[in-house]
Amino acid sequence: MDVVRDVLDQSVIDRNGREMGRVDGILIEQQPNQPVHLTAVLIGPAALGDRLHPAVGRAVRRIEKSFGVDENRPARVAFADIDEIETKIRLRLTISETAVAAVEQRLRSWLLRLPGSR
Amino acid sequence: MTGEVRLDRLVGREVYTANHRRLGRLEEFRAERRGTSWIITEYLIGAAGLVERLGLGARLIVGIKRPTGYIARWDQLDLSNPDRPTLTCAAESLQRR
Amino acid sequence: MRKLFNLALGIVTSIGGFVEVGSISTSVQAGAEFGFSLLWAVAAATIFLTTLAEMAGRVAAVSKRSMAAAVRERFGFHFQVVPLGAEFIIDTLLLTAELGGAAIAVKMLTGIGFQWWVFPLGVVAWLVLWFGNFTVIEDGVGLLGIVTLSFVVAAWRLHPDVGPIARGFVPSIPHHDLTRYAFLVVSIVGATVSPYLLNFYASGAIQEKWTQQDLWINRLTAWCGMGFGSVVAMGCLVTAAIVFGPQHLKVDTYEQAAQMFVPVYGRWAVTLFALSLGIGCFGAAVEIALNAGYVLGQAFGWTWGIDKKRRDVSRFVTAFSVVLLLGAGIATIGLDPLRVTLISVALTVVIMPLVVLPFLVLMNEEEYVGTHTSGPLGNALLATLTLLGALMALVVIPLEIFGG
Repeated sequence: MDVVRDVLDQSVIDRNGREMGRVDGILIEQQPNQPVHLTAVLIGPAALGDRLHPAVGRAVRRIEKSFGVDENRPARVAFADIDEIETKIRLRLTISETAVAAVEQRLRSWLLRLPGSR
Repeated sequence: MTGEVRLDRLVGREVYTANHRRLGRLEEFRAERRGTSWIITEYLIGAAGLVERLGLGARLIVGIKRPTGYIARWDQLDLSNPDRPTLTCAAESLQRR
Repeated sequence: MRKLFNLALGIVTSIGGFVEVGSISTSVQAGAEFGFSLLWAVAAATIFLTTLAEMAGRVAAVSKRSMAAAVRERFGFHFQVVPLGAEFIIDTLLLTAELGGAAIAVKMLTGIGFQWWVFPLGVVAWLVLWFGNFTVIEDGVGLLGIVTLSFVVAAWRLHPDVGPIARGFVPSIPHHDLTRYAFLVVSIVGATVSPYLLNFYASGAIQEKWTQQDLWINRLTAWCGMGFGSVVAMGCLVTAAIVFGPQHLKVDTYEQAAQMFVPVYGRWAVTLFALSLGIGCFGAAVEIALNAGYVLGQAFGWTWGIDKKRRDVSRFVTAFSVVLLLGAGIATIGLDPLRVTLISVALTVVIMPLVVLPFLVLMNEEEYVGTHTSGPLGNALLATLTLLGALMALVVIPLEIFGG
C-alpha cells in the first residue's frame, strides 16, 4: 500500500458508509532500530492547515477554540480502527465516536433556527 | 525520533546521503500490514519531483518513460531528525526505480 | 425513454444556461468592433470548453469524483491549494459581475439604479438555493434561459449574408487594432471556459448518478448542450456586428448594447435584452454560488448535495451563503460590472494552465476513467490546450493593459 497515493487526501467513511471527511494528516512513530509504523490518520481543518504552514494550523485551532469546537480535534483515528483501504477508507468506527462532525453540528444548530430549514 | 511525527510533512523533504549530498525528495512510503499494525517497508525517493509526480500523461508528453530515483528499505533511511532524512547506507546500495 | 427525456432536458438547459455576463459582453464587443471575424474564436473556445467538460463528466461517471475531489485525491492538498484559492477568488469576482449584470437588467426594466437591485437579487438567489432542489435549479433556471434565444432569432431576422459569416469561422488577421483583436480572442476564451462550469457539470453528473453506461449521455449533453449554447453567443455577436459594425461602435454599457435589438424587436428591444441579460446572469450567479459549495465540500470532504436536507449539509450551505454574501457585498459597492467581468475573465485565463493540467493526468489513469482513457489524440489535444492556456496566460495581462 502506498501511503501518499492510497491514504493521504482520500475520503473517509464510517462503518455505516457515512462520509466523515478526508485524511488530512497521518501520524507515524519510530522506535530505534524498528521500522516506522503508521499510528493514526488525522481528519480536520487544523491538520490541513498544518500542511500549509504550522502557523496556519495554529490559527485554525485558535478559531476552533473560540467557537468551542476544538475538543478532540483534529480527529485522530488509529490505523487499527481502519477496516479497509479501497477507493475510500472505511473505518470500524461510527462517525459519532469521533469529533469530526463538531463544526457541521454547530452550524446545523444555527441553521435550524432559519425558517423553512429542511 | 521517538514519538510521533507527521508523515504528510515529510512528503517532499530532501533526503541526504551520509556525506551530506542531496539524493532526492521523499515521495512515497510503502507500507504493509503486520498483524494489527501497518509498518513502512520502503521509501521512494524521487530524482526531481514535479514531472515525476504528474504521472503518466505528463511524463509521456515530456518523454520520460518510467519514474526515476531510488527505493530505500526501512533500515536504509534514518528519520530520527525529521527535518533531515538521511541514508544509513551508501547511495550505491539503494535499489533503483 | 426516461434517459432520452433527461438527455433532451440536459441539452436544452445547457443552451439556456450558456450565455451570461462574460459571453454577452465579449460577444457584443467582438461583433461591434470586428464584425463576424471573431466567430471562429467563439467556436474554438466552445470546443475547448466542451472537451474539458466531457472529460470532467467522464471522470465523474466512472470514478464518482468531481474535479475538485479528483484533484485533491490525485495531486494532494499542497497542489490543490493554489488553483482552489485562485478559483475561489475568480468565482467570487465572476459572481459579483453576474449579480451586477442581473441588477443592470432590472434597472433597464425599472429605471431604478442597479446598485439597489444587487442585494435583493442576492437574496432571491439564496432563496432559490435554500428551498430549491436539483430539478428546480439545474433544469428550471436553464429552461428560463430559453429567452436568450432572442439573440439567435435577432441574428436570423437580420438576414445576414452566409458568405461573410462563413468567413468569420476562419481565423484571420484583422485590418485594424491587432492588440484589441487579440485581447478579445483571449477574453472570449476566458469568458467561455470558466473553471466553475467544469466542476459544476461534474457535480451534476454525480448527483444524477451517471455510471459508465451513461458515457454516451455525457458526450451528447456536453457537445450538443454547449455546442447549441454557443450558437446563442454567436447570435449575439452576429446581431451586434450587423447593427453596430458599420459604425465600428465601441460598446461601453449594457444600455448601449440593448440597442442592437431595436431593428428586430422595436419597442420590445430593451425588454428582451434585459430579460436575456438578467436571466442569463441570474442563472449563472445561482450556479456559481452553488458550485462554490460543491468545490469546498468536495475538496475538504464535507457532505454536500443540492438534494440533501439543508440541515444535513450545514457546512455546504454556509459555503454557498458566504460566497453569495461576498459577491453581493462587492457588487453593491457599484463597481462597473463590465470592468469586473473583464478582470475575472482575464484572471480565468491566467490560471488556465493549472486547470487544464490535471486533466492531462487524470485522463490517463484507470482509477479515474477506467478503460476510457484518453488515447494519443486526446492527449495531444490536452497538451495543446495546456500550451495554449499557458501562452494565453502570459499575454493576457499585457493585452488587458494595451487592448482592454
